[in-house]
Amino acid sequence: MSEKLQQIINKQQKNLSGEDTKIDEVIQLVGFIVGDEEFSVPILSIQEIIKPISWTRVPQTPAYILGVFNLRGSVIPLIDLRSRFGLPTLKHTEETRFIVMKNGDDVAGFVIDRLTEAIRLPKRDVGPAPETISESESLIDGVGKQADRIITILKVWKLLERNF
Amino acid sequence: MDEFQEILQDFLVESFELIEQLDQDLVELESRPDDLDLLNRIFRVAHTIKGASSFLNFDVLTHLTHHMENLLNMARHGDLTIDANVMDVILESIDLMKALLVRIRDSGEDSGLEVLGCVGRLDAVANGTSEDAPVEAPAPVQEVPAPVATVEEEPDYSGMSDAEVEAEIERLIAVRQAEDAAKRAVKQDTTPASVEEEPDYSGMSDAEVEAEIERLIAVRQAEDAAKRAGKKAESEAPKAAPAPVPAAPVAAPKAEVTPVAKPAAPAPRRSEPKEEGENRGGSTVEQTIRVDVKRLDHLMNLIGELVLGKNRLIKINDDVEERYEGEAFLEELNQVVSIVSLVTTDLQIAVMKTRMLPIGKVFNKFPRMIRDLSRELSKNIELEIVGEDTELDKSIVEEIGDPLVHIIRNSCDHGIETPAVRLAAGKGEVGTIQLKAYHEGNHIVIQIIDDGKGLDADMLKSKSIEKGIITEKEADGMSEKEAFALIFRPGFSTAAQVTSVSGRGVGMDVVKTNIEKLNGMIDIDSEVGQGTSMKLKIPLTLAIIQALLVGVQEEYYAIPLASVLETVRISKDEIYTVESRSVMRLRDEVLSLVHIGDIFEVERVFDNSEHAYVVVLGLAESKIGLIVDSLVGQEEIVIKSLGEYLKGIEGIAGATIRGDGGVTLIVDVAALMQMAKSVKSTVGQESAEAKGRLGVKNSASDYCVMIVDDSKTDRTIMRKSLEPLGITLVEATDGVEALNILKQGDHNFDGMLVDIEMPRMDGYTLASEIKKYNKYKNLPLIAVTSRTGKADRMRGVESGMIEYITKPYSPEYLMNVVKRNIKFNEGL
Repeated sequence: MSEKLQQIINKQQKNLSGEDTKIDEVIQLVGFIVGDEEFSVPILSIQEIIKPISWTRVPQTPAYILGVFNLRGSVIPLIDLRSRFGLPTLKHTEETRFIVMKNGDDVAGFVIDRLTEAIRLPKRDVGPAPETISESESLIDGVGKQADRIITILKVWKLLERNF
Repeated sequence: MDEFQEILQDFLVESFELIEQLDQDLVELESRPDDLDLLNRIFRVAHTIKGASSFLNFDVLTHLTHHMENLLNMARHGDLTIDANVMDVILESIDLMKALLVRIRDSGEDSGLEVLGCVGRLDAVANGTSEDAPVEAPAPVQEVPAPVATVEEEPDYSGMSDAEVEAEIERLIAVRQAEDAAKRAVKQDTTPASVEEEPDYSGMSDAEVEAEIERLIAVRQAEDAAKRAGKKAESEAPKAAPAPVPAAPVAAPKAEVTPVAKPAAPAPRRSEPKEEGENRGGSTVEQTIRVDVKRLDHLMNLIGELVLGKNRLIKINDDVEERYEGEAFLEELNQVVSIVSLVTTDLQIAVMKTRMLPIGKVFNKFPRMIRDLSRELSKNIELEIVGEDTELDKSIVEEIGDPLVHIIRNSCDHGIETPAVRLAAGKGEVGTIQLKAYHEGNHIVIQIIDDGKGLDADMLKSKSIEKGIITEKEADGMSEKEAFALIFRPGFSTAAQVTSVSGRGVGMDVVKTNIEKLNGMIDIDSEVGQGTSMKLKIPLTLAIIQALLVGVQEEYYAIPLASVLETVRISKDEIYTVESRSVMRLRDEVLSLVHIGDIFEVERVFDNSEHAYVVVLGLAESKIGLIVDSLVGQEEIVIKSLGEYLKGIEGIAGATIRGDGGVTLIVDVAALMQMAKSVKSTVGQESAEAKGRLGVKNSASDYCVMIVDDSKTDRTIMRKSLEPLGITLVEATDGVEALNILKQGDHNFDGMLVDIEMPRMDGYTLASEIKKYNKYKNLPLIAVTSRTGKADRMRGVESGMIEYITKPYSPEYLMNVVKRNIKFNEGL
């Protein structure tokens, strides 16, 4: 195939993806509280949010893995974000929720203290994670700045990655 | 191209199916060399594959099969007697053919494998043993050092000898003639008789050609007859395929076949079913269809969901029954539920059946294996197969092959003696290996029985000690069966010499692992000099299983019933500790025990009662007793994976969803047995937590007392009396609430004041419930009541109260009793 043709195709693709970023400029997040901090994950990585239901403990796992629960016929792991972040565990309250997140075929439920709101954030307001944390270990994807507050955006794929 | 791929796929599927039957037939042929039916069947396989492969331009394969066909054809006509030597060559060529087919399947071409040597041997056998047979044309070709013509797609004429060139020219002429003849014949013959492939007449001897003509005429006659019979069912007549003339094979003498016969020359294998079918009025169309295994798997998953739904429905039905007893609609609901559950079960069985394959699929390869082995080991071994029709799940059929191969090899190598030894031992010269398959409940049992020298327990033991697999002490305590099981230990091998067959100590270890993977069991029986019997017991299916549900503390686990041998209820006194391991005596065996709580790190909250249940687990050849708190019952469960995140957790095979919607973990019995070896026994020990309950008290408010009374006034009186102490007071209005507060564990209680008369749960019940918890075993319970009878006091003591205060009382008295019981430190 001629190089010219390839070039044209490349150019077209560039244009296309350029348009994509324009559309993508606003990202939608769901905010929630764990401990004293507000975190968020992209809305598209959330499968659903449910009220706490009973779960079954799974032996030989780290303490932050509470066990597994039944989500309409699927057996799904349940992870306590408080202990995942090294915070003391609390008893579940009326506001406690399970956020079921997915990344490809990986699905898990995460226990959070309470939901805050859905957030629309222009992409330019999202900064990189603090540099003090080593890139590969960090659960933080970036930091979103809003007028009165700072929102930590989490790496969903990292949360869903088995690390024991 | 797509069309070609499709044809290729069909060709491969068909060929592999044919070959599967072939091995069996060939071995049978050796014992009955005169069986014409068998010979014909084998011949047809070679013929069919040759025809199809030449159509698809697989020249190497065509070349090979062509020579096989030649040889077989000679045998078919009595020109050649099949003896062991001939057989070896035939088998070799079949193996080569398989290899070629595998190559075609994997890479789409048949180049890269050397067939000439084999072809040469085929021809040598054909020539050497049959004087009358005319010299085959292809044979000399093989002797020429550069036999390119047969392999290359475009024959390289330059490298050919004169003879080859001439042959090639002749071939081309023959091809041309055949083409013309075919065209003419097609025009003449308006019937849609099939010309699916052009048989290779060129490579045939005169006698063969004659035979072939005879055969074709017979086929033709049969076809005519069929046509007449099948006029009503015209549509079923096969369609004419284009004559694949260009693919006509190797150089050879000119074809001397009448053109008339040609159009009516379908592959013999195909003509037969057609004859049968049409003779019966064309009513029997093929009764099977091929289904992608993925679809069946999906169907099985759906059934799994349905079974879960059914379990749930049954549970709800039970609950509803309890609540609305005697109502009319219950009867109807009951009926619906039982119909649904019945249909679900039937459906499940039906789908399972579609996945079933006869075990003969696996067994088929063994006659050939035994034959090869007996020649290799110079032993006389006969294989008897019983129950090859026994069916089991496809996934198991796939897994069972390897273990069986190892076991049979082992039997041939170590079990069956050489003829001389056998005669000396007063046995027949021929050793027998029996391969039996039959159903037993939800299991399939495969038995491998040989009449060889048997296993010698003492020899096994000394060998194992020598190799450092077991210690002498262990050996002394071993029963015969345990000693037999030593052969499954990795690194164990009793063969003095490592042969190519076995003796590397890998095989039997693999057997054990594979059988364990299938949740199966192995049972060995052996008698020195008489032989060995190995029994494999394997569940019929893997996806939906019967499980025994057991409880430990507040958790439940499902144990595959296939691994459960029995359950026994024992008292704590029956558990002995030997070298810090718990064991019990089960009839005449010593069974090592392990508590499920120790394996799965279950917190011991409740007190262990005097009795315990022991689930005796058996897997492959080992046994263990699993101590559980309670037996819940048997249930049909669907195995679900724990997913990527939690996969590979030791001791857990998966999870299932129960009737109440909760998740129950399934025990991986094989892993559990491994874990049991390293778990320290804590049976009968109290948890350390109970001892350390009374923490350090730094101030009066570190003391905590619960007041349980349904009357607000009484609670206030008690509170007022105790407040001066400065201790923490928690109130509960009845037993249920009190128990909940305890369970939550927010406070570390040092004592409780309990009223007896309360709604929902009275004081006695509360006390006995509390005493069930290890943690609160020593929690002082003080009854505060207006009941003063002696019987009441007795009951209080029985339920675990340590003090009995009767109302009314003075505040000081109450304070003193509490202070004494919580060991209040006045200094704070």
